[in-house]
Amino acid sequence: MDDSRREQIYKEVIRILSADLEVSAEDIDTTMDLNTELPFDSLQLYEFVIDLEEAYNIKLPDEMLDQMKTVDDIVNLIMRLTDGK
Amino acid sequence: MKSEEEVMSEALVRIFENVVLTEEKSLQAGYFSDLSIAEMHTLTAIGPYESRTMTKTAEDLGITTGTLTVAIDRLVKKGYVIRQRDTNDKRVVRISLTRNGKLACRMNSKFHRVLAKHILSGYNEEDRKHLLALVNEVDVYVAQQLRRYDGAVNVRKTAMEVAKDSKKENE
Repeated sequence: MDDSRREQIYKEVIRILSADLEVSAEDIDTTMDLNTELPFDSLQLYEFVIDLEEAYNIKLPDEMLDQMKTVDDIVNLIMRLTDGK
Repeated sequence: MKSEEEVMSEALVRIFENVVLTEEKSLQAGYFSDLSIAEMHTLTAIGPYESRTMTKTAEDLGITTGTLTVAIDRLVKKGYVIRQRDTNDKRVVRISLTRNGKLACRMNSKFHRVLAKHILSGYNEEDRKHLLALVNEVDVYVAQQLRRYDGAVNVRKTAMEVAKDSKKENE
């Protein structure tokens, strides 16, 4: 159950990320570092964050984002925040 | 040699002015150059999440709802704010941020956070704690002074008028 939910969230995160960054989904790896390996500028980062907040009806304040290093971290955080929703 | 009071008072005014000026310049040079600082602060008061009432937002900004209405009209036209009637009480107007409004608000928070991060990065943990405690005391004291004017019709407006008058005097 958790695995299929994780898979679903993962796919959606990659879809949003590839749309916001205008890069192909195949070029995005879950272990990629958000700060150094993905071509984000700060505006794109917040576009991505706001899209995630709206897609999952969650809040991702900066203090929480500071802890996020990889795409995997983001997927885990969404899993946690949407648990029971 | 300057007295401690002079050094403190000049530094306080300078910090305030320079933070505002830096914020203004970063706005002009950035993605949201069509926003003034006052407009950015209005977006911040609304916040990126739940919608808020006009009355509560005006209260937080220390302005009248009439003044806020004019500001919100402009922000709606610029595409940063959505204005809606409350679904339960049609007399209440609620405001929230559009996607662009949320982006502007978060970018501005980031500006403040980066500034704070750079200031703190020059100190070790013990000094950072000490500095934060002192800054907090100054903050509490200045907020207390502001509360002395509670009940004044419109503190912001009064302050702006004072600024305008002293500008005229200097001309």
